[in-house]
Amino acid sequence: MKKQLRLALNAGITFGLITIFLFLIGFTGTAGDLLGDLLRNKNADPFIGLTPQMLNMLIFLVLVGLWAGAYGSRKSKGQTDDPWAPALLGGLTTGLVQGVFVGCLALLVGTLNLQHVQISKYLSQLLPANIKLFLLGNSPVPGALIHLVLFTLSGLAGGFLSRGVGRGGWRSQSGPKWKNTWDGFTQRSFFKQVRGNRTTRNAVYGALLLVVFLVPLVAGQYWNYTIGTVGIYVLLGLGLNIVVGLAGLLDLGYVAFFAIGAYTMALLTAPAPHHLLWSFWIVLPIGVVIAAITGLLLGAPVLRMRGDYLAIVTLGFGEIIRILSASDVLTPFTGGPRGVPSVSGPTLFGKPFSSNIDFVYLIFLAVLLIIFVTNRLQNSRVGRAWEAMREDEIVSRAMGINTLTQKLLAFAIGAAFAGLGGALFASRNQFTGPEDFTLMVSINVVAVVIVGGMGNIPGVIAGALVLKGLPEVLRQLQDYRVLVFGALLVVMMLWRPAGIIPSSRRKMEVEKDTGVTETPEEGRGK
Amino acid sequence: MTIALETRALTKQFGGLTAVDSVDLIIQENSIFSVIGPNGAGKTTFYNCITGFYEPEAGDILFYGKSLVGLTPDQVTYRGISRTYQNIRLFSNMSAIENILIGQHSRLHASWAEAILHTPRVMKEEKLAVEKARELLNFVGLVGLGDQLARNLPYGAQRRLEIARALGSQPRLLLLDEPTAGMNPHETTDMMHFIRRLRDELSITILLIEHDMRVVMGISEQIAVLDYGAKIAEGTPAEIQGNPRVIEAYLGSGAASGLNNAAAQPA
Repeated sequence: MKKQLRLALNAGITFGLITIFLFLIGFTGTAGDLLGDLLRNKNADPFIGLTPQMLNMLIFLVLVGLWAGAYGSRKSKGQTDDPWAPALLGGLTTGLVQGVFVGCLALLVGTLNLQHVQISKYLSQLLPANIKLFLLGNSPVPGALIHLVLFTLSGLAGGFLSRGVGRGGWRSQSGPKWKNTWDGFTQRSFFKQVRGNRTTRNAVYGALLLVVFLVPLVAGQYWNYTIGTVGIYVLLGLGLNIVVGLAGLLDLGYVAFFAIGAYTMALLTAPAPHHLLWSFWIVLPIGVVIAAITGLLLGAPVLRMRGDYLAIVTLGFGEIIRILSASDVLTPFTGGPRGVPSVSGPTLFGKPFSSNIDFVYLIFLAVLLIIFVTNRLQNSRVGRAWEAMREDEIVSRAMGINTLTQKLLAFAIGAAFAGLGGALFASRNQFTGPEDFTLMVSINVVAVVIVGGMGNIPGVIAGALVLKGLPEVLRQLQDYRVLVFGALLVVMMLWRPAGIIPSSRRKMEVEKDTGVTETPEEGRGK
Repeated sequence: MTIALETRALTKQFGGLTAVDSVDLIIQENSIFSVIGPNGAGKTTFYNCITGFYEPEAGDILFYGKSLVGLTPDQVTYRGISRTYQNIRLFSNMSAIENILIGQHSRLHASWAEAILHTPRVMKEEKLAVEKARELLNFVGLVGLGDQLARNLPYGAQRRLEIARALGSQPRLLLLDEPTAGMNPHETTDMMHFIRRLRDELSITILLIEHDMRVVMGISEQIAVLDYGAKIAEGTPAEIQGNPRVIEAYLGSGAASGLNNAAAQPA
């Protein structure tokens, strides 16, 4: 009993602090506004003396309170899942503690506000208007009491809900609920059928493809630009996936090959600084080949290093390319810090590619080609050698794999994909410059591969969608975009540690590392 | 008789430590040859020199008359030498078949371009490789376990799979490093029979490192004893069992006079 109370107390403190934090950064108000957008009640009449703005904030706070109550009740309930009393008590305690915390906060800021202390000088969100909103227009003491009662009640209700739903059984399994649900979903009938049956699978892929090809027609200019960017990141991700996901070489300077593809396209097709004006279709393969050759040239000396050392050297290489492209000495050749404007786009049957839609389709085709190539490579002697090398380099050498050649090959192919992405990127933007190729690009691509699921094509696509597409979707959250995005990433890594759609192999590796499954050789001799 | 492997004054040093000290060995084709010695005697270093992971400071290694010194491990494998590991080192997240396919790497030819284009030659080669892998799997007695992940196989099966993987490269000489480590007497007997079958049915020369004296004395035709990197004795099992220097190396000086048969007991 004592332990259960302590757990509920902890939950209350945690959620109390979270709520305080949310208030201090002004999120309680913003969340209310967002709810207002959702409920479209912004211009509604006041209800029992509360403006719609206040009501919306209250709804948000009640939701937080419910969550806290449910959480606290579940924590404190522990293994005994029989009686109602501990669940309700847990929720009540959590709510009460949270209420005390938030009430004290309301009392404090309300009083300070009454004394005309300008708290917003220190915490920019604590404007008198915001404080008034938080206190629901009341003076400090009643305002604080309202919060206390509000959280206590919603905590109790949360405990009630948690217990009630728990009875329904969907929470009764052990382990994280959503993981089970997801695994159940992916392994159950429909998905299994899709995986097992070739015709069904092809049909599903065909339908997906059709949908993907139709989207640009209905999406506007802005969204097509975003889709194009996501597509280019899919290209980059698939390229890096070969290097990192299959061959196991951590390349942090991947942007270099992207830059080389882009600059090849720019310098050979733009009117300045060289006035070569070559055709896009000729330059595209040249960019790919030059990037691949650069990959070989860099790889030859560098791939003798392993792990961290390789990462550092490639990181340096990525920066060198960017700095070179911006350097004064090379300005006559590369256009210097100002970049290369007026990069030409492709023409097809005399019609120039002008809109983002044209480019989206071009990028789609490139992605399809790369998926095809990656798939073929992965399921071949070469792909097997890469995966063997990642698992155990020493043994793979003893098995007759020339690891240096195979690493060079992986590096060059990865670089070629990046070159393709870069060439398309420069052509679409009609511009290229050093700013496009910062270290952040490399890190983003690594993140795409890791978040999506290493060594898996659908995973990389999902990763690019999440990392490059989601921030655009979240743009309406304004200042909280990065905050929410970060939280989502954390949740994602907790929920799916091997990536959103991990390769079956990679998933097992992660599980092995965290000791989820036990290996049969455990406990045996040697 | 043809000589499969010959080492001449093979020496490997790590700083001041001489791990392998001018070892001369002659291994006849189609024989089972054991290298024994106390822990730290240099047996595994000896293996690593043969397989190209270490470059010896002095001496030569001849495989069917051609020197292996200076070759990389993959080149050595291509010449026809394959090995297993003391602590099983399978690609544990790959299926049994995939493990054997990787073993066949040096005998397959598909380049990256052919792999992308799926040329008829590659498709045929890949099909044959999978068939060959299934054959090897059946040969080592793992019928029907091809799609199992290596890590999910029982211990004994993992040992066998490791041998099947080594056989994938079509070796003429197979280096086994303590193949019966961690096995119970029954499994050990099975493994002994199995090693004989490797030699008899596939005509592979076997070089064996082993601590279990029952295995060593039971299947070896020739035995070499290493101690502190140097070869202190060589001969048939009977000769080795009676050799006072060997008993001294294993049990310390003084024991040699009293315990003539000590080395014959299971370790």
